[in-house]
This record gives sequence, C-alpha cells and structure tokens, in this order.
Amino acid sequence: MKLVSWLCLTAAFAIATAPVSALAASVAVPAPSVENAGGGTTIVRQVDGAASLVGTSMIVRAGLDRQTMKQNGLAALVAETIVRTPLAQGDKSVLPLEDAIAARGGSIHFTVDPADVRFYVEALAEDAPAVLDMFRTALAAPDFSPATVRDARSVLVRQIAQVQQVALQVGLDMLNAASSRQANAGLPELGTPASLAQFFSTDARTFYRAYYRRGGAFVSAGGRLDTLPAETLTALAAALPVGTTVPVTVRVPTLNGATHEIVAHRDISSPWLIAQYPAPNVDSRDFGPMLVLAAFVRRTLSDIAQVPGVVSPTFASRSVGTVYAYDRAPATLVLYVNGGLIGNPSRAFATALSVVGVLAATRLQGSIEEFKAEAAGDFASDATTLETRTWLAAVFSRESASPDFINHALAAISATTSDDVQRVARSYLGNPTIALVLPRGTNLQD
Amino acid sequence: MTGRPAFAVAMLSLASLLSAVSVSAAIMRETGSLPRGGSYVLYPDTTVASAAVGLWFRAPAPGYDDATPGIANLAATAAAVAPLASGKSLYALVHTVGGELNIAVYPDIIGIGAVVPASATRRIVAAMTAAYFAPSVDDAAVKTARANAAVLGVQQRYESDTTLHDLLFKQIFAIGPAHYPPLPTTVPQLTGITTAQVSGYAKRAFRAANAVLTLAGNVDASSITAVTDGGGGGSMDSPYDSKLAGMPVSTTAVGAVDGVGLAWIGPPIADQKAATALDFVADYLFREQTGVVSKVLDRSQSDALVIGQFITLHDPGVMVVTIGGSHEKQTEKNVMDALEALQQPMDAQAFNAAREAFLYHVAADTQTPQERADNLGWYTVEGNLEYAPGIAHGNYEQAARALDPQYVAEVVRHYLRKPVVVDLIATTPQKESSQ
Repeated sequence: MKLVSWLCLTAAFAIATAPVSALAASVAVPAPSVENAGGGTTIVRQVDGAASLVGTSMIVRAGLDRQTMKQNGLAALVAETIVRTPLAQGDKSVLPLEDAIAARGGSIHFTVDPADVRFYVEALAEDAPAVLDMFRTALAAPDFSPATVRDARSVLVRQIAQVQQVALQVGLDMLNAASSRQANAGLPELGTPASLAQFFSTDARTFYRAYYRRGGAFVSAGGRLDTLPAETLTALAAALPVGTTVPVTVRVPTLNGATHEIVAHRDISSPWLIAQYPAPNVDSRDFGPMLVLAAFVRRTLSDIAQVPGVVSPTFASRSVGTVYAYDRAPATLVLYVNGGLIGNPSRAFATALSVVGVLAATRLQGSIEEFKAEAAGDFASDATTLETRTWLAAVFSRESASPDFINHALAAISATTSDDVQRVARSYLGNPTIALVLPRGTNLQD
Repeated sequence: MTGRPAFAVAMLSLASLLSAVSVSAAIMRETGSLPRGGSYVLYPDTTVASAAVGLWFRAPAPGYDDATPGIANLAATAAAVAPLASGKSLYALVHTVGGELNIAVYPDIIGIGAVVPASATRRIVAAMTAAYFAPSVDDAAVKTARANAAVLGVQQRYESDTTLHDLLFKQIFAIGPAHYPPLPTTVPQLTGITTAQVSGYAKRAFRAANAVLTLAGNVDASSITAVTDGGGGGSMDSPYDSKLAGMPVSTTAVGAVDGVGLAWIGPPIADQKAATALDFVADYLFREQTGVVSKVLDRSQSDALVIGQFITLHDPGVMVVTIGGSHEKQTEKNVMDALEALQQPMDAQAFNAAREAFLYHVAADTQTPQERADNLGWYTVEGNLEYAPGIAHGNYEQAARALDPQYVAEVVRHYLRKPVVVDLIATTPQKESSQ
C-alpha cells in the first residue's frame, strides 16, 4: 500500500473519486413503529419475519448520571442484581434470572450508559413470551438480599478485571470521563472493585426505588413479534412504577486550553494511542456529514499507518480505526492506533492528528462519493443483529423525530456534500483529548 | 434441493426465470439453477439494509494433485483483484460501494463473500460471477495474491488456533487436501507457483457448474438475473474428501506461539443426528461465556483460551479443541475430564436446559445476512443444504430437538475417547498482543 503523507492529503482526497452512481439509491427498509404506552414509556416495534428470535431492549433512566460521585458502580450493581435475582422454576428449583433465561433458550445482559441502563433480552421466538415474563418478574421485584447483591458484586468485579486488560476500553473510559458534561456521567460504567465494596443491600434497594420508573423508559423489540401476546411489551413497560426521575447534578469546571492528554498504565504489551473529539447527535444536520467524515479519517489513518491488509482483513488492518459513538450522550468521534501492530505508531498517530487539523482548515477538492458509500455500507452492515436494531431504533426514537434509523442515516449520508464535510470538520475536529494507554514500566518518552 | 436440470436452465429465458421466481416469492428460502450453470440459494430478509453475496466452490486447496499447497488461496485472491471488463476489480468494486470482501479457503472448499448495501446487490452479483466464472488471472493479480498470502501467513503463525488446526488435520489425514495447510508455511512454496498454474486452477475450480451462489439479506430473486458468464453444462465436482491415517499419532511441533490441540474423527455430514450431537457437545462445553469449561476458566480468572468446535465436513467431520494462553496442560485436563463426564447421560433437567440453550445459540449465530449466506454456502458444498443451521424448522433444528441424554452420551463414547494431540511449542518468547 502506498504511503500517503499528510502533505499530499488534498491530492489524495481529490483522486479518490468514484462515479456518482457508486452510491446507488438505497433500498427502502420498513420503519419501526412507535407507541406511547402511558406513564412516559415508549414502545418501539420492528417486525422481522425472517428472524428466528425475538430481541428486546429495555431502557430505563437509571444510568451513571443518577449516581452521586460516591456511588460509582451502584447503577451497575442494581442492574446486575436484577440479572442475578433468583426465580422459582416449574420444578420448584430456583435459578438466577440469567440462568433461568438460558435454560429456556435465551440470554440477557445489560449496559450502563451515561443516562440509562439498558437490558437486552433475546430468545427463540417460541420461548420469548416466557422469557420476557421472567424478566418482567425480576425487574418488578429484584431480590436485594445480601446473598444476591454479593453475588452480583462478585460478577462485576470479574468483569472489571477483564475490561482492564482491554487497552482501547481503558482509553475510552478515560476519555469519556474527560468529555462528560456531568462528572458522575463519566465515571466507569461498572464502578471499581473498591467502590463496589462499599455498597450494601440497602444502597441498591434505595437506588432502585428512586430511579427504576416508567418515565422516559423505552421498550424496543424486534424479530418475530407475531409470536408475542399483544400485551407482553406493555406489561414489561408496566413492571416499573409510574414517575420520572432527574439526574444528580455534579458539575465540574470546564478544562481550558487546547489539547489535553491523559496517560494510564496497564498490564498490556503494547501502547495504544487514542484521540477523542466531540461529535453531533443523530438529530443534528451534521450527523450524515460526520458519518462520511469518520469514513474518510479511517481510510486516511489506515493509509498513513501503512497497515498491511492487501486484500484480506488482518489483525494489522484492524489496528487503526475510528469510532463515531452517535448513540452516546455526548456523542464523540474517536481515532485509535494499536502501537503493537504497526511500525511507527507515534508518527502515524501524530500525522493523523495533523491531517485532521488540515482537513478542518483546507478547502476540499474532488469527490466524496467513495467515502459516502463506505459510510453507508458500514452503517447498513453494522445494523443487522436484533440487538443493534432494537437499540438504534430506541436511540433514534428518543433523539430525533423518527425511529427509522436506517432510512434516516442513509438519507443523511446521501445528502452530504463536500461543503458539509468541511463544515463538520471545522466545527468538531478542533482540540482533541488524547489518551495514551501504556504497558507498565514504560513512559511517554519511550 | 429443488434445482432444475441444467440443460433446461441453459435455455431458460430471462422472462421465464423472473416468472418462476415470482411464483415462489412467498417462500422464505429459495433454491434453483443459475442461468448458465451452477445453483443458487436465496434467503431474503427485507427488514435489513445490507445484503450478503457468496460464491462457494468445491476445490482441493493444495491443487488437483495435492502438489501446490496455497494455490487455491492464490487463485481465489487473484481472481478478486484482476481487472474486469469495466477496468475495476471485484475487490475494488466491493469497496467502492461500501462493502467488505472476504475470501475463505478450506482444504476442500472455497468461499467468496461480500457484504454490501442492498442497493448494490446486482452489481456485485454481476462482478463476482464475472470474476470467478471467467477468471482473467495475470501476473499482476498473482503478485498481489502472493503478497496477501504472505501477510496472512505471518499472521497465522501467531494464531495458535489456526496453526493447531492445520497440524491436527495433518496428523489425522494421511492423503488428500486436508493433509496440507490451506496456506503454505514457507514463502518459496508461494513463489514457486506460476501464473499459468494459478490461471489453470482458477479456470477449473471456478466453473459456474462447480458453484453455488448464496444471497441473504435485503435481496430478491431478480438478483439472479445479474449473473454473468458461466459455461453452461457440467455439474459440481464430487466432494474432495481426504483419506484418514490408519493410526493417527500425537506429536509435538515448534511454532511462534504455545498451544495444545486435540482432535477426534467424527461422523460425515450425512449422519445428521451424530453431527448435531457433537455440535451440542461443543456448545455445551466450549462456547464462550456459557460453556461448562469456559465458565471454569472464567471463574479461575485464567488467561487460558479454549476454542472447541465440531467441523462439519462431507466425510468425515472433525472435532477440534485448541488451547492457548497459559496453563495449557491443566486446561487440557479440564477438557478431558468434562468429556469423560459426558460419557454418562446428563441429568434430564440439565440436558433439557443445555439443549434449549444450544437451539438458541444456533439461532443467534445465524441471524445476520453474512452468517446466513456463509452457512448456506458451506452446507451446500459439503453436501447437505437441507441440514444448514438457521433454516427455521429445517433438518438441523429437528435433529437438535430430537437429541436426548442417552444418545449424546453414546456419541461421546463412540467418537470422543482418545484424541490426537498436538503440542505446539514456541521457539522464542511469545509476543502477546493486547486486545
């Protein structure tokens, strides 16, 4: 692969042309339907007759920003306690919800976001009614006994240990902490072993009673919904008491100055370099252009790093990339370089940051059709699992006028012009926050 | 499979093909013959915006005389990067429309897959069939293919799973394509294969008659009319099975990383019941996060990694377990203990739960267009499309639902007693990559 220096970026941009027809008219996909279930809960449905499964995302306003600074990890502990809540089975045995669902042909897991906790439950279509009923039972009345909370805590501590071995996640956690508008919303999703050790059953129960409410909740389901009794999703929404909640306000002074740098050391064998920029939400007119810009930056970063992909994707070709986290609040664009798999990661990273700076300041020439096609292809192929589809439908339903994430995103990409990309680069790609995750025993000078 | 006679299809007009398609449009999975040789399988899902296009062939990876390991990889890659009539290669076109191209070479079959926005399906079907059914392989394309294979080869040296897989097959199979790694272990083996050899191989292996086209995602049968080229007559080659070693022996090998591999000879794809039982065993013991052995490792916070799967092949299939990370020998003991326990019938309640979980895992693993297209392609060329996992109420699901504890124990006793073992020993300190 040829070396592309940042000085000839404009030329590279200009020759990266493709006929306008490269981005053919997109294929229309049925839009999800939306229903107000009362009490401030929204139900989103996507019927997929070709699926064998039913997937359901349940989103509750009980995320990181409902914690005080001292309560880091409590949102995750409550969610894990729900997942570990014992349920009586037909044969009078008792199984934690997670195991009971697995035994019925399904799965459950959760993610803690800045404002929400989202559970994802998936099951074979014929088992989905029973599995969702189990989830509803545990969600409505979690077991906050010391044994279950202890069990939940031990699961989280194991997960935290695993996360600490993933350099990119360590870096993202640091960057999210730096970019959050609220200090509590930027805390680690699962807490820390030390913070979790401070919580008792009463803490978990109190948090649950305060924040597990219907107001602002979403039930987003997809797949073979024809197998569900009509009232199933409504009943899930009604598992929580009525009411709305507000975030705990924890303001921190805004950091002044230009670029910020955060360094962490972990038990990893190679350094990771990660840069984060602010980015637009899905309802912004800048959404489509940012998707295209992310594709462009990814390609450029790959060229600069000379990743030896040739034809087949390799570990090395995946060692650099971009992530436009439009489903997170605030949205961000992240560039990353895995220093263990390319020749000179520092130079590649520095050059990429320079390119981004040039991009924001220089008039763009040539066609952007190829990057539009790449952005559209990435979005379409990423949105094929039921989990992703139900989550994105909820995000778009909440953040924009329509839950129709696929057609909205593809239309936004299709309408993007070079001027839009330029404007978005100038608006957002100013001063990055940089995270360096280094192997223990090394320092910046290394 | 509902394929039509080839001679009839050769004369099939576009109009009649479309007519035939419209009649069966309500059927979820469609099969049929391509206009100029070969067959297709269609699995539409109009609720997603992407499409997966696959082209699968029966072909021996080390060549038709087993003398040129790596030739299948070179041919498949060279055909993808060679310019088409438009001046652009299949590889370039897929990327131009925002898609990804994957080339997978196994000992006995080759799979080409592209995931693209649904709006580009016809263009990709046309380009893919042109690239393979009438391959135009030149020196430049072979040079790119060699470079690609060299990069993959270096990467593979650091993947204990792939390395062990190849070494285990070498021990199990004495003669035939499965005896050789799909990618050669030395560069001279790659450079020694000439453009003429690659071209000749491509023309023989990638005949339309030797192909099955798989389409999944937001597709419809009208995409079939985009197929270009193809010779017309002929039929798919017979399966390229390999001959088992009389008494497979365990061995030690040196490599770039440490690891332990275990393998057992299993049933052919035709024995759906036994093959499904071994899939169940692999899922129950080794699936990431939920497998019995995997959970033991998670709880002990070990960094050992176990990958276990039954590889469904025409005849015979192979159960492979690879162990990487640290404490390989302790993990090997965990594996053998777990298998020994399964020689006795599981408790009925535990079995029912494990079977339900297995059914769910199969469905979860076959939900995207790419997963569906890959499964349909693999099972067709291995000889049993109707047994492809992920087909609602298909043979696979029926076989899984029919499993019982006694039968699973019987299969474990029959097939999974003494494994062939390969100990892979790193010659230099390992360089581990962070995740």
